[in-house]
Order: sequence, then C-alpha cells, then structure tokens
Amino acid sequence: MSGAPAPHTAPAGPVGPVAWPSALQPKVAEALSHYPNRRSAVLPLLWIAQREWGWLPPEVLRLVARTVELPDAEVFGVATFYTMFNLKPVGKYHLQVCMTLSCSLMGADRLFQHLSGRLGIGHGETTPDGRFTLRRVECLAACGGGPCLQVNEEKFHENLDEAAVDRLLERLP
Amino acid sequence: MSAKVRVTINGRTVEVPAGTLVTDAARAAEVHIPVFCSHAKLPPLGACRICLVEIGLPRKDRDGKPVLGADGGPEIAWNPKPQTGCTTPVSEGMVVATDSPVAVKARKGTMEFLLVNHPLDCPVCDEGGECQLQDLAFAFGADFSRMSDAKRTFVSENLGPVVKKEANRCIVCMRCVRYCDEIMGEDALTPHRRGVRTEISSFDRQPLDCEQCGNCVEVCPVGALTALPYRFKARPWDLRQHITICPWCSNGCSVRLGVRGTEILRARGTERRGVNQEYLCVRGRFGYGFVNDAARLTGALVRPPGAAGAGNALEPASFEEAVAHAAARLREIAARDGADAIAFLGGEKLGLEEQYLFQKLARAVLGTNHVDSRTRLVAPLPGTAFLKATGGGRPSISLDELGRTKEVLVLGDDLQGESPFLQAVLLRGQHQQGVHLTVAHPRRVKLARARFGGVWLGLAPGSELALLNGLTRAALDLGDPLPAPSGGPPPAEVAAGLPALRTALAAWTPERAAQATGVPAAAIVAAARRLREAPSRAIVFGRAYAEHAQAAALLQAVENLGWATGALTAGRSCVLYAGPHSGTQGALDMGLAPDVLPGYVPLADAAARAPFEKQWNAKLGAAPGLTAPEILAAAAAGRVKALWIVGDEWVRSAPDRALVEQALARAELVIVSDLFLTETARRAHVVFPAVSFAEKEGVLVDCERRLQRTARALAPRRGAKSDGEIFQAVARALGAAWSYRTNEDVFREIARLVPGYEGLSWATLLPLGPQWASEPARVAASLRPAADERPAAGEGLWLLSGGVLFQQGSLGHRIELLTRLAGAACARFHPDEWKRLGLTAGDAVLLEGPGGSLTLPVAVDESVPPGAVFVPYAHRDVELNRLGSPGGAGLRVKASKAGIAQRTGV
Amino acid sequence: MTGPLLFKDIDTPGLAGLDTYRRVGGYATVLAVLGRQTPDQCIEIVKASGLRGRGGAGFPTGLKWSFVPKGTERPKYLVCNADESEPGTFKDRELIEKNPHSLIEGMILAGWAIQSNAGYVYLRGEFGWLQKILDQAIAEAYAAGLLGRDVAGTGFRFDLHTHLGAGAYICGEETALLSSLEGYRGQPRLKPPFPAVEGLYRCPTIVNNVETLVNIPHILGQGAAWYRQWGTEKSAGTKVFSVSGPVKRPGNYELPLGVPLRVLLEEHCGGMRDGLKLKAVIPGGSSVPPLPASLLDTPLDFESMNAVGTFLGSGGVIVIDEQTCMVDSLWNLMRFYAHESCGKCTPCREGTYWMTGILERLERGQGRASDIDLLADLADNILGRSFCPLGDAAAMPVQGFLKHFRAEFEHHVGQRCLANRRRDSRMGVPA
Ligand SMILES: Cc1cc2nc3c(=O)[nH]c(=O)nc-3n(C[C@H](O)[C@H](O)[C@H](O)COP(=O)(O)O)c2cc1C
Ligand code: SF4
Ligand code: FES
Repeated sequence: MSGAPAPHTAPAGPVGPVAWPSALQPKVAEALSHYPNRRSAVLPLLWIAQREWGWLPPEVLRLVARTVELPDAEVFGVATFYTMFNLKPVGKYHLQVCMTLSCSLMGADRLFQHLSGRLGIGHGETTPDGRFTLRRVECLAACGGGPCLQVNEEKFHENLDEAAVDRLLERLP
Repeated sequence: MSAKVRVTINGRTVEVPAGTLVTDAARAAEVHIPVFCSHAKLPPLGACRICLVEIGLPRKDRDGKPVLGADGGPEIAWNPKPQTGCTTPVSEGMVVATDSPVAVKARKGTMEFLLVNHPLDCPVCDEGGECQLQDLAFAFGADFSRMSDAKRTFVSENLGPVVKKEANRCIVCMRCVRYCDEIMGEDALTPHRRGVRTEISSFDRQPLDCEQCGNCVEVCPVGALTALPYRFKARPWDLRQHITICPWCSNGCSVRLGVRGTEILRARGTERRGVNQEYLCVRGRFGYGFVNDAARLTGALVRPPGAAGAGNALEPASFEEAVAHAAARLREIAARDGADAIAFLGGEKLGLEEQYLFQKLARAVLGTNHVDSRTRLVAPLPGTAFLKATGGGRPSISLDELGRTKEVLVLGDDLQGESPFLQAVLLRGQHQQGVHLTVAHPRRVKLARARFGGVWLGLAPGSELALLNGLTRAALDLGDPLPAPSGGPPPAEVAAGLPALRTALAAWTPERAAQATGVPAAAIVAAARRLREAPSRAIVFGRAYAEHAQAAALLQAVENLGWATGALTAGRSCVLYAGPHSGTQGALDMGLAPDVLPGYVPLADAAARAPFEKQWNAKLGAAPGLTAPEILAAAAAGRVKALWIVGDEWVRSAPDRALVEQALARAELVIVSDLFLTETARRAHVVFPAVSFAEKEGVLVDCERRLQRTARALAPRRGAKSDGEIFQAVARALGAAWSYRTNEDVFREIARLVPGYEGLSWATLLPLGPQWASEPARVAASLRPAADERPAAGEGLWLLSGGVLFQQGSLGHRIELLTRLAGAACARFHPDEWKRLGLTAGDAVLLEGPGGSLTLPVAVDESVPPGAVFVPYAHRDVELNRLGSPGGAGLRVKASKAGIAQRTGV
Repeated sequence: MTGPLLFKDIDTPGLAGLDTYRRVGGYATVLAVLGRQTPDQCIEIVKASGLRGRGGAGFPTGLKWSFVPKGTERPKYLVCNADESEPGTFKDRELIEKNPHSLIEGMILAGWAIQSNAGYVYLRGEFGWLQKILDQAIAEAYAAGLLGRDVAGTGFRFDLHTHLGAGAYICGEETALLSSLEGYRGQPRLKPPFPAVEGLYRCPTIVNNVETLVNIPHILGQGAAWYRQWGTEKSAGTKVFSVSGPVKRPGNYELPLGVPLRVLLEEHCGGMRDGLKLKAVIPGGSSVPPLPASLLDTPLDFESMNAVGTFLGSGGVIVIDEQTCMVDSLWNLMRFYAHESCGKCTPCREGTYWMTGILERLERGQGRASDIDLLADLADNILGRSFCPLGDAAAMPVQGFLKHFRAEFEHHVGQRCLANRRRDSRMGVPA
C-alpha cells in the first residue's frame, strides 16, 4: 500500500478573475497539445485547476472556459456532470468510501459508519478543521479488495476494517 | 429531388422522400406520433423515447427480393425492439405501427416515466392548456399513478428578467439548451449535474447573459420554462390568437399575438410556420407593449394659425377638422409656391398599400415628386440603388436557403441588432449546415466570434470601399464574372463594364487594400477565393452601407463584388439587402423614392409612366424629386415649405440634428402621422393619430422580397385612423376621387398596375407569400468602378454606431423590458483607448463632432477597435445626430473625459 | 497470480519498466509485424483468432476493425477503453498497473492494423494514480522510439496520450466515452453512425477494451491457431475473471474461456470464506442477471452464459453468500444505476430513480405486494427502450433477481429485512 497521500492545497476560493500560475502554464500547454481541438482539453484543465485550487470556484471555471474557448455555461455543465469535480471546497483529505455491491458485501457500510462516527461528519460533509471530507462513492474498481477507500487522488486502500482505517487516518500528516 | 419511397403507417401508405424521418412521414400520413425532444430545427436526438413505435421491413431473400407471405403481400420482419420514430429514416416498404401492443406499451411506459418526477401542479402552471405533456397524458396516460414514492425536487428560480424556471416540471428534453446553442449561438443554458438530478440552468445559476429571446420558453414543451412578462396573465383558452408579421425589422417573422379584450398579452412564434418557423427575437416576443400604451394619440391635433411659432400650442381637433386644415394648407402652399414646395417623408414602417397611397397622394394629387422613405440617408441615392445592388430583381434565394449557403459574407452590419432572425439563420446554418461566415466589420460583432468558426475581417473604420474594391479585384483575378447556372452569359452590361472596372481596380492590389483597411492581404485574397469558389455564396448588407456617406459608391461596389464572385449569377446564391424596417423593401417597391414610380418605373420614361397617368388620372412630373437628405437641406433653407412625415421620428433620426431642427422650424406646414406625440410631432402643425401594426391588415415585403399578409388583431384604438384612411381623407379633401373601402382594394390596384406584382391577390399570400422576382431584371445591371475618396468629417476618433438588440427606435423606448435590458447608452472604448483617455468606471465622456456634442457614460469593450468609439443609435438616451452629419468616409469625433456620469433623461 | 497469457509474467518484478518488459519478450511483435505484415493481414489474423471484445459486449474484434473505411483522407483514431467502472470488474487496472507496456504494444499493433496514427487511453477519473504509471511507460516508449513519428524505425507514426475521466460510469459506454474525450458531458450518442465509421472528432474510430488490446501482441506474434489452443470454438482464448465477494481468495484469474464457474470459484478462489454458503453469483459484472448456486457448473464462455439467461459481460464475478439479502443487494445496485444514469433518456433516468425508491421501501419493510410486479413491469418498460445499454444494464439484474429469488422479495413485503448481515446504509436517493 502506498504511503501518505499528497494533500490538496488548502481551499483558497479565489474571487475575481484568476489566471494560470506561471508554474502551471507548461502543463496547460501540454494538455492542449494532446488534442486536435481546444475543447477536448476541458477535463484535463479542470483537473489541473482542481489540483491547484483544491476545488473549482466559478472564477476558475471561467478561466478554464476562456482557455478552451468555450462558453462559461458549457464548462459549468461539463464540470457538474462528473462527480469528481468539487464545486464546493473539500477538506485536506477527501475520504471516498466505495459503497457498491462487492465492497458492501465485505462490510463497506460498517466502515463508512465507523468513519462517520469517528470524524463526526456525514456524507459530503467536512470536519470543522477542514481536514477531512467524507463521501460515499460508487464502485472504484477494487472490488476484490473490498471494502476500499480512496484518499484524494491516490491509489486505493483495500481490504480495510475499522482498525486498518484508524491506522490510516493516524498516519496522515 | 431525392427518390420517393413508400411507407405504410397504421395501414395508411404514403410516398415520401427517402430519408424522411418516421415522425415526419407519419405527419404526411396524418398519424400522430408524439415527440418531445425532437424539434423541426434541431437534429434528431432520440432521448425522450416518447416517439417509440414498432417498425418492420420487408423480408428479403438472398437475391434481395422481397419474400412474399401467405397473403401474397411482402412478409414483414418486425424489429423486436420498439424504435424511436424521430431518429429512424424511412426506407422502401417500411411498415410502422403506432397502435400495436408493443408500440402502445412503449409509449405508455415512457409517459408514465415522464410523470414520475413531474409535479401535478397543472392548475397553477402557465403552460396549462397548451402543455404537450398534459395533452399526451390526457390522450395516452393512465388514469391513476403507480408512482407513490417521494419525487425529487428542485427550487424554482428566475433566470433574468425573461425566463422563469420551474425545474421540477422539466422533462429534460434538451430543446431549450440545444436551441440556445445551435440556433441562437448563445449557450446561456446548460444542464447541471446528471441523471435524475439533471437541472437546466445557467452558469453558476447567474441571470442569463444572453439575447433574452425567450425561444427557450417557446420550445419548452412543458411549463418548466415560462415567460416572466406573461406569468399568470392569462389562460391560453381565454386568448384570441392572430397570426401576423412582426414589425420590428425587415426579416418578416410570423408572430402569433395572444389577445384578450383589447389587450395583447403575449407574442409567440409557431413551429413550422412563417419564414421564422417559431423563432422570435426579444423585440418580436416582448416588444408589443406600445400598442396598449396609454400615451397613444387618440385624436388629431392642430396648431391654430397665428404668428409663426409664437407659443401657439397644438390643440385637439376632430379628424375632419384636421383633414380639412391639412388639405387647405397644402392647397394653399401648392398654389402659392408650386407643388415642389411640398415633400413627403417616411413610410418604411407602413404596409404596402399605405406606401402606395402615400406616394400616389404626393404625385397624383399634389403633383410633387419629393417623396422619400429613406429618411436616414446621408447622401442621395437613386430609388433603384438597392434593387440593382441585389441583382435588379432577378430571382433570389430565401432566408431558409441562405442558411444552407456555403459561404456568406456579412458587410458592415451587426446583425444581432439589425436583423436578429437573419443572424439566427446564419448561426444555425453554421452549426448544422456547414455555412462558413466571413464578417467584415470594424467591431468584432457576435457573428465574428471565434466560436462560430468564421473569419473576421476587422477593417479600419472608413475603409469599407477599399475593402470591397480589394475583394472585387482579388475575385476578378480568379477569372471573369461567372455565367448563370443555365450557362447563359452574364448580362451584357456586366461584360461591357468589365474592361473599365479591371483598369480601375488595377491599383487595388491585395497589398494596397491591406494597407488601406488593415486587413491582411492574404485574408482579403482568401475571402475572395472562398466567395468565388464555394458551391454557393451570399453577400449580406444592410443599413450600415445604406446610411453611409459613401453609400452610392458602396452599393456599386457591392454589385461589382456580386458579379465578380458569382453571388448574383450562381445557383443558391444571392446578394441580400436587409434593410432597417419591416416596410423598407415595400417602400422601395412602391416608389417611395423621388425618381421612380411603383415597380421601379423610371419617372423619366414617358411610355412606362403612361399606365400610371391613366390609372391615376393625373399628369405626372417627369423630373425626379429631391431625396431625403436634399429635402432636409431644402427645408432648412426654406425652399421646401410643407412636409408630411409619416411614422418617423425625424428629429432623432435625420442625419443632422441642427439641420432638422432648422427645417422643422422653418417649414410653414408640418404634418405628422404617428402613434405618439413624438418629438417630431410636437413640432408639427397637424398631427394625425395612426394605428399600430396590430390594428390593421395589409401586406409587408420582407428582405427576401417575400410578400406576406398581415392580420388585424385588435380593433383600432379609439380615435386613431389607419394611415390609409388618413391619406384617402386628405386626398378626397383635395378633390381626388379615391374610394378604397379596404386595403385589399388598394392591393388590387397595385396588382393591376405595378410591374412585378401583376396578378397577385391577398388570397395568394397566405400562409407564406411568394418572393417577387423578375426576369429580365427590373433594373439593369452595371459593372462600374466605385470610387469616393472624400475623407471623413471631423477629427479625432472614428464614431462607430449601429443598432443594438434591445433598443431599436422610438417605439422600443416605450417598452419597459427592452429599455431595462438595454441599460444606459454608453460610449464604448477599446481598453487601449480607455487607458489613453484616462477613463475609469463611472466616468462620463464628452464627444464633440462638427455639429455639436454629447456627454455619455463610458464602458470598456474589447470588440471596439482602438482609435474609435462605439455609440449605439436608436437608443433612448442618445441623440447621435447632435454630433452632426457624417460626410465623406464617416464621422470623427473628439473625445475627452467629462467627469462623473450623470444620466440624462430623454 | 499467473495465467497462461496476459498474466504469465505479471508478477515479474519491474515489469512496468521497459527493460524488463523487453526481457520477457515485449515489443517483439511490434518489430515482427510493423512494415512486414500488411494491415489487412493483421486484421485477418485477429479475425481468425476468434478474439471477442473483453469490455462486455463480446463483439468480434477483427470484424470491428474491418469496418474502418479504407482509403479515406480523414484521420483515424484508436481509443482504449480503460474506464473500468462496471461493478465487480477490476482487471484492466491490474493489467495496466503491472504491465503498462503490453497495452502500449497492443495499441501500436492495433493502430497499425487500422492505420491510425493517434491513440488515446481513456482512464476512469479515479485512476489518476494509474495514469501516472501509464504516462511513465508511454514516456519510456517515446524515448525508445517505440512511439512517435517513426515507430521502431518503420516509418509508421503513432502517438499515444492518456485522458482522465472524472467520475462517470456511463463514460465506459463507447459513444459516451468519445463525448467525454471531446470535452462534452459524457452522454452517449446516436448510433448509427457507429464509431468505426464516425467516432472521435467524427473520424473513423476503434474503441477497444484494455484486455482486448493486450491480447493483440500475443495473437499477432504467435498466430491465430496458437491462440485458439485456449477457449472454445466461439469463445476463443483466455479471459480475466475478477472475483469479488466472500470467497477465500478474491482477485483476478486468467483462465481459458469455457472453464466452469465452479472451477473458478472452488479451485482457484478457494471456495467460500469459512462458515459461508454460496447463494448466487453475478458472473459478468453487475449489469448481468445473477445465477443461483444450482447453475454453478455452467462453463464461463459467451454462449453457455447466454444459454442460462445471463452474460459473460466483463468477467466481473460477484459472489453472494446465503446471509446476504437479495433485496438489499438489488437496492444497492439500483442506487448505483440511478447515480450513474446520464439523464439523457427518460426510461433510464426516471426508471432507475423509481425502482430505487421501491426497493428501498421493500427493504425497509414498507413494501406492498404489488411492488414486485411493478418492479418487473418497470424493468420491462426500460429494457430495450432506453437510449443506450445502461438502461438495459439496470433492468436486467431486476429481471434476474426476480426470476431466481422472487420468494425473498415476497418475503419482504410488509416486513423489515432481518437476514441481512450488513447494516442498513440509509443512503436514500443518490445525491
Ligand atoms: C453502460 C456501459 C458501460 C461500459 N463500461 C465499459 C468499461 O468500463 N470498460 C470497457 O472496456 N467497456 C465498457 N463498455 C463497453 C463499451 O461500450 C464497448 O463495447 C467496449 O469498450 C468495446 O471494446 P471491446 O470490443 O474491446 O470490448 C460499457 C458499455 C456500457 C453500455
Ligand atoms: S426546461 Fe423544458 S425544454 Fe428544457 S429540458 Fe426541460 S423540459 Fe426540455
Ligand atoms: S444512460 Fe442515459 S440514455 Fe442511457
């Protein structure tokens, strides 16, 4: 199992027009270069933005729209279609517990309730200290290792039980 | 064109073109297949599944021959799954069932699913009575619901001043989103999220930043999107519906007025009807409030004679008194100063019959040829100029065909403000038919946005002629003017003019044109090549060229380009003039110009004049009268003493404010017919109260030269008269034996007399009249150098102007919604200019022109080029003509910061 | 874990690196085939091998390739479907994680066969970490001249990029995948035209599953006859089965097609966990109807599965034990489909929502006797009526669960489920 996941940068929530930080510009250019039209880069750019800002506030969505030369509304429609784009701020560690059948058969519901109790938050909520967001998600493609959990974008943690998940939380910086 | 195939639907066999969709074939067979996500203007989507039907095809043997069944007929292989009729093209021998058990179960199933989350709030829903879901539930639904679980709910929201959204009612048919995107080019609406949580809204739920056309409301089959201005105003079954033609521009959209009592409560389009097929712009949909405006004139006004201008005010008078007074004064002036002291102006907003009568009154009754509808012209133009530039009356194409033309050049106009439907036609064509757009405009107007995949030729202001000459030269470099598709040579005049034109254009190399216009030489050459080589092409222009100080040369240059590129000869191609008003084309057709009689008959041609003299029982002057700008000058100089201005706010729209004030002050007699006591009417001696478009019937000719009947939706406002009645009353008072009972009588006379209109009758004009055309052309072509090297008037920044969507003239100022949407009129500057002038938000700017000055609030606008300022015209808050008349290549103004903006009133 | 073909070397340390991959024979087929065999020959070999798509639909791969129009000027695209979102399926993840070069090699060869110069790998959004591994391998391949302008010096150009989704099962459906790749909401598109004729950017496009593509180097390298030593006449080759649920050794198993389900579960997975008894198996990912324990001897191949009323699907084998409530299981799955319905078509969007509500009520003991027939009828109204197969995927399990376990549903009417060893998750309606 991989080590401590890399944290998101703290949710900043820029207001007013934003621009790509210069450090990201090569990444943006690279993403655009992969496709014959700009529009195709919309998901990669949303990812780059989300990794930078932790979530996708309206101004950031506008930035992406400008970059790919699409109407703002269209990018909004795309961003909200997919469940992994955060249109609200999330905690430093985004705990995503798979709840679909295979994991559920192996105890995902218990695991989720354990986490919920321990952190004092429910589905989609963030701890007051901004450290954890808890979310139920659908099948992660780790069914043979259920119950499982993904923290941020890192590799899945599999075969979890209450004790294992406690150890995992304690290891997080 | 395409081969026909035979399809049998519920046992009825019809023949339709191969490739027709099953739903359309069913319409032909008079079988109803319900649809929600399908729309006549949008490509098939197949999402809502309400159109599921059972489809079978003839079974074929190895050799492809149909297998015959026991009854001798072809054996049918039924598809085991129901299919969507809206996406399936028919083929030979196809059999469709909408009434089989499989089809019925599928439709009922979808119907039931559609109601799973749909609230049962029909009693308070504005769509009630015309809701397609309600109708279908009535027709096919079950009488009880198996759905007893909780419904998913959204909160309702207002998306700006026009659209009310009740998302729970949404059936996610996506018509609104697709219409907004593919037809309007706005993309203001978008679905949020997915699955059962899908909700149509805007970016971050902000008020819609769009054209506010309300077409999303129109296409919504349920009550999810409703129009805020109409909300809870009426139940549809209480409304009388009248289909007429929209008065707001020259595109000729069909509009359905919903009337209760004496009030228009709403305007809608109608799917599959009219040139617009349901589309309406914000003006057409919400711009009818002036009809019921309490400020409408309800009686005539007369200024009692007395010391000139000495405080004698307009006083109410009976219609008869006003007529008698007007006639007496006209007779007096004609007797004293000759008929040439009388001029008739305006008429671009009248119906065809009234236009005809207006000039007949001037010419046949009073004997003056000073008639001109083109009151905004800056420089004189022959009455034939527009027709000649567009091919002289040769058959043209329709707007519908224009939307399938492969290359379209738009010259000078921001179609969004001037011709909204035309813009929609081109945007839809761009999305769906591969239309390529080239937009020559100093500003990056909407059509020129990168998203629409076209090319923007952002020419320097004042270099319009240079661009046209450069394009023509580049097109001629590719060869001589193209022959007609029939193989015939271009007209002799074209061939004859070619050598001189080539010589004159020799200097207009792409490089020189580039230097003059600021458009790269390669872009000019490429645009010419596209126009010349595309399978079909069109050139579109409008008032920007008509009202240009170099209009005469520009129109000749447009014609040259039309011949050089084949736009005037090739199939499915055209040069189109989209004039400013609903009656612009009709006014030209009816001879509201000083040098032509109706049908473009030259006054100077005695033989052609004769039928008119006979019919009108009058001797007509052979010499052309004065054009509008000349009348303006002559009146200001005291040479023209009587003016009749019809439906035209001349004070605000004539090119030079100081001059028009002078003209009106000096004239002995000013007669104005209008709906309101306009600024012009305030300066009149006789004011006639006219009726609005909704209170009369007649004919309008749109920019494609299509004749369409208008209908009366309302009884005339008490005290008001139709312009035709006013003209006839004055004519009779002047001794003419006019006896038209209706406009139809007038139209009969037109159809008898006017070339091009022969044989038409009102009955032939419904629902969609013909586009008149004439072969040989009514006006001879010419290919001729177009030059006009006069510099611009004034100094400083170029003044750019143009129509804006939300304000289009004095009637628009009376529509609260439109004025609110239009906001304050700002002087708009490119960021560079903004910086140079040291402006900050909230500032005002002083603009000084040769004729006067204006102070306006400011705004930054990247679409305006540096070195220029954009100010909208026809906006309530600007009287652009105070700056003086543009001369030469345009108008320049001095701009300076003028402190904090203060909104000045009207 | 091992297997005869795809998994043969999978646990070789360092296999994800180019050198190790080459040492076990990697890229040999590229060198042997590119420029030496014509594209048509390659397609013929794949046709002859009997390889069928491993993404779920089982469409013959060679035949699909042959639909790409020849001699057009338009670019052609090859897209690898690594969306792997079908519940119960986790094979592609392991194949890419441990052996990314085999996918790259498969894609180069497939690209050659259809004469495509550009490929994309569409990874599900949760595979960001896997994208890094694959990107690393792609970079190595570029550096070694195996990708790019001149693949292995043959003059053939092939560029390869990865593209990350962002959380949407529907993007596994090939046309929705293409929408997503083009930057649209991931909604399916009308067929026809099929992607092979008009796909990505309206150009001819082949979409293939990861496992399908990693078979290609073996088939083109060793020949169709060699490949046919595994599997059955109509289901040739091996298949990776992803086994999940309470068996002793869950995981991926590569076995010849046609192996009985019982052999997979009892011999390879070690049978049920202690104390548990098998009740049902969903053999091909959550979208296919379950089989009761009595049908455990059915061979795992396309035809045999169809014969017992289910599908081989993606090979995601979900094992359900006796203590698990079938109503609760179906509710769980229906939540998944309601959450993942794209919303485009009415039956899928509304039907999955409605059925979720009914199942929730049943599970909570608030069901009515009529609910069971209602469920069956709703499934019938979705099946074959939705825009894309996601609707069918939601309807088929309902039919299968009702067919084999109707008694359990009837038992739930009016009484709260007590048998369930899992806690009530109270997820309610998906949000
Ligand atoms: C709802 C739905 C989800 C799917 N998900 C996947 C998937 O995650 N991975 C996959 O390879 N194929 C998936 N498919 C199948 C693809 O549409 C397509 O058939 C496949 O990628 C073709 O590749 P193949 O012929 O190599 O199997 C899905 C299909 C549907 C209808
Ligand atoms: S708002 Fe109306 S038009 Fe738009 S998707 Fe919903 S039902 Fe269709
Ligand atoms: S999931 Fe939406 S139509 Fe299939």
